[in-house]
Amino acid sequence: MRRLLRNIGFGFSVFVIVSPAILVMLWMLSLSLKTEVDNMSFPPVFIPSPPTLVNFFDVFEKNRFDTYFINSVIVSGLATLVAILVGVPAGYGIAKAQAHKLAMLTLIARITPALSYLIPLFILFQWLGLTGTIWPIVITHLVITLPIFIYVMIGYFESLPADLEEAALIDGCSLWQAFRYVALPLAKPGIVVGAILSIIFSWNNFIFGAVLGGRQTRTLPVAVFNMLTFEQVAWGPLAAAALLVTAPVLLLTLFIQKEIVGGLTAGGVKGG
Amino acid sequence: MNRFTRRKALKIGAGAAGILAAPAIMKVARAQTGGFNWKKFQGQSIEVSLTLGPRADVLRRHEKEFTDLTGIKVGSEAVPEQQHRQQVVIQFNSGNPQFDVISISWHVQKRLVGKAKWLADMKPLLADSSLTAPDYDFPDFTAGGLRWATQGDGRMDTLPLNIDPWMIYWNKELFAAKGLAFPKTFDEIVMAAEKLTDKASGQYGWVSRGLKNANVPVWTSFMLGHDMDPVNPKTVALQTTTPEAIAAAEYYKKLNKDFAPPGTVGFNWNESQTSFSQGKIGMWLDGIGFAPPLEDPTKSRVVGKVGYGIMPNGPKSKNSATFGDGIGIAAASKKKEAAYLYTQWATSKLMCARLLQSGGGSPCRASSYSDKDVIAGLKLPREWLTCLQESTAIGRPGLPEIVPVTEFRDTFGIGLTNTIGGADARTEMVKATEAFAPVLQKSEAS
Amino acid sequence: MSQATLEQKAAIEETPERGRAFGRHYLPFAYPALLITAAVIVFPWMFTIYMSLHDWKIGQQREFVGLANFVKLATDGRFHEAIWHTLYFTVLAVVLPVIFGTIAALIFNERFPLRGFLRAVFILPMMATPVAVALVWTMMFHPQLGVLNYLLSLVGIPPQLWVYEPSTVIPSLVLVEVWHWTPLVMLIVLGGLAALPTEPYESAKIDGASAWQMFRHITLPLIMPFLLVAIVIRTIDALKAFDTIYVITQGGPGTASETLNIYLYLNAFSFYNIGYASAVTIVFFVLIVLLSMMLLYLRQKAKWS
Repeated sequence: MRRLLRNIGFGFSVFVIVSPAILVMLWMLSLSLKTEVDNMSFPPVFIPSPPTLVNFFDVFEKNRFDTYFINSVIVSGLATLVAILVGVPAGYGIAKAQAHKLAMLTLIARITPALSYLIPLFILFQWLGLTGTIWPIVITHLVITLPIFIYVMIGYFESLPADLEEAALIDGCSLWQAFRYVALPLAKPGIVVGAILSIIFSWNNFIFGAVLGGRQTRTLPVAVFNMLTFEQVAWGPLAAAALLVTAPVLLLTLFIQKEIVGGLTAGGVKGG
Repeated sequence: MNRFTRRKALKIGAGAAGILAAPAIMKVARAQTGGFNWKKFQGQSIEVSLTLGPRADVLRRHEKEFTDLTGIKVGSEAVPEQQHRQQVVIQFNSGNPQFDVISISWHVQKRLVGKAKWLADMKPLLADSSLTAPDYDFPDFTAGGLRWATQGDGRMDTLPLNIDPWMIYWNKELFAAKGLAFPKTFDEIVMAAEKLTDKASGQYGWVSRGLKNANVPVWTSFMLGHDMDPVNPKTVALQTTTPEAIAAAEYYKKLNKDFAPPGTVGFNWNESQTSFSQGKIGMWLDGIGFAPPLEDPTKSRVVGKVGYGIMPNGPKSKNSATFGDGIGIAAASKKKEAAYLYTQWATSKLMCARLLQSGGGSPCRASSYSDKDVIAGLKLPREWLTCLQESTAIGRPGLPEIVPVTEFRDTFGIGLTNTIGGADARTEMVKATEAFAPVLQKSEAS
Repeated sequence: MSQATLEQKAAIEETPERGRAFGRHYLPFAYPALLITAAVIVFPWMFTIYMSLHDWKIGQQREFVGLANFVKLATDGRFHEAIWHTLYFTVLAVVLPVIFGTIAALIFNERFPLRGFLRAVFILPMMATPVAVALVWTMMFHPQLGVLNYLLSLVGIPPQLWVYEPSTVIPSLVLVEVWHWTPLVMLIVLGGLAALPTEPYESAKIDGASAWQMFRHITLPLIMPFLLVAIVIRTIDALKAFDTIYVITQGGPGTASETLNIYLYLNAFSFYNIGYASAVTIVFFVLIVLLSMMLLYLRQKAKWS
């Protein structure tokens, strides 16, 4: 009996800590599936009856969501790709050389307010004649993806047993070969985790796209912010757009939660 | 639901526009035989960047007609005001703006873009008969509109798109219930607001912008009624601590603190509108372009109950604080001629008439108001049009013509927001003036 | 790297010192990343310093003014206010997530059905797009139509003004921040809990210690290093908080929630005072570094004791 009570108590506390997360998400879903009249009524209508997809149609009709979606994919994808290409060897090198000072450099990137990159980089892009293209956004997103990625990789390479590489070195492999043929294959799971986290935090970034993006280069979070309409507050379409932007990330988190949790716990990182 | 009605509305709109379009197209045909060739820049494509709002809606809805007429492809977007203003500056400054055509708010950006010469001068283009359609009828533009569009050095770097006088939306039903008439003076506004406020039942006599920056025109509306501009147009001296300015701030404080719904410190026009359209607000002071949603049953509970009141008499003068938008061509654009055709189309008689009909603004062409067909197609009550015309007649710039308008609005906006929280109006205005004076001085000196 | 091969064998088999000396041969692996870091991180820093010494407004000529921008900051009341808002926000946005995150970690450290799934649900907020959820929170905060006031009315609490009132705006924004980032603290602490040894608990149980006593005297000291990591990370992030505040209040009402980051943004992108904004950036950065170093120092101290 006492155990049962304890179990109930424990179950209740689990419910309490998980509910804020789930309630806000459900409220976003609810707002997106209701008509404007229901969204504006007080006391609020919780369960849409009947649910309507009008808000989603509205979002697609009035915005070029497909363009923004593709932009976001390009930006997060390219920024992460570059982070992988240079970040894997960097993580390996820093871990092996125990170059903690270099690791600190990535930490400084983590500490610096994102806004402070914007003006100088913008002027740099101007000199390079890149303004108006999507490249400035991709490059600024490296500020997010690269530190996360290197951080995860350092942790990962440090946790790998060194025996195999050492054996390879003794057999006469060069350092590069030992990295390429021994360490790299072993690091694949770490790369996947680092890449996913990079993509997510780059996807979520608002400020770089907000300042550097134009009509053809706008990313999704900026597009959603711009949905705040001219006349009156239109909650339905706004919630629908918010849901569309964040849904891919949320689904990704739920599907591969184990890897994400592992990566985050190891690095204690986040973007921005 | 939403979607259906909007579709329907668009259809009706298109129908009305069709009737209008017929004579215009005939005129175009005639123009072509007369030698003017709209298709000269066929095959080019231009980028158009507009401030989100009814003006942009009208232009973008009919964009295809422009492409049909000229063979020029248009990529357009409408960005919310705040982000738009910011991006315009950043992109202009980059020397490589991503747009050819741009709409600007005269009341905020005129001096800034004028000083930096970011926009092309329209005058040589207008004078070029190979580029300007004979039926464009430039003299049809109102003097007020052209004054806004012309810079101090004589360059005209925008064409007039819209003028936005401020007025008071009032709820006739609530006024009638209390046996009140629309106020004739500022003091009567306060009295009416007091009588209409019944906090227990959630009814409030007044709503207007409390959000910093956005709220400054509310204050200047009252200041103009004291025959005082925030900045002297001739000497460019700040007049924000004059007794008139303080009195205006007191009106602002009284109305927004005592008779406006809770949370008004965070209200911009859209929150104000949402409040007013719920039917429990007596009066709402804002721009005249916000009427259509109030008369739309899917968005509003006050359809048919809205009165459109002219800004009442102030102690010394009767003025409507006025704002406006122009449309111009980026000086760095490589497709100036095609862009010019777009601005010409956007400010043509036809498009101006459509803007008026939509109720989303007031075009700067005399013909829009004199044409019976246009008036017949108006989707709003006639009272709205009367209010618009009378307000325009007593129009006076609601913001100073200086470069750092945003800082002006921000600094004084904070002071005004503070008064809603109970701060002393004079203290706040003096503080804001002290903070802003060096900024203005510096900007005028350079 | 031919020289490296000569050293390889010896280095691997011998002392850690020599291993470390050998380690520098690995440094070239990091060069490409260093190059990019220099371009996108170090260059902006140099340039920011350069700009901070100029009176520079977009659309106007720049002029060298030395330290004038910093002198102006010293007397800029709005800037001082922004520092206070930032610190107030930061303290709340560090302490609360650390407390709640620790509790959540203790719960998730137990074994129970669906734990993996529920843990994933719990971390959803920190993965969600900040702008998107900030917009949802804005709707929830609405004083007349918001769902939060309705929920309060169910338990008999009068409606609040949330972000529409200067005195409650920062706590309300902190609420969003707590919701957003408690999961991160949970994950860090969970990592610490997973590494705990079991022996001390067994002997404490034999001695008849209560659950609270075991937490207070065994768990807490052991997870302290992890808590400090969480505190450092939270502090940095809270100081830098931008998206949520920008979307929900833009620093308002008035200046009641204007933090350093918002003030910086306003100066750079609304007033176009690039020089002055750069000076704000530098002071802001120094503040962040000082606070993080202070916390890292505490961490070191905790390690020694």
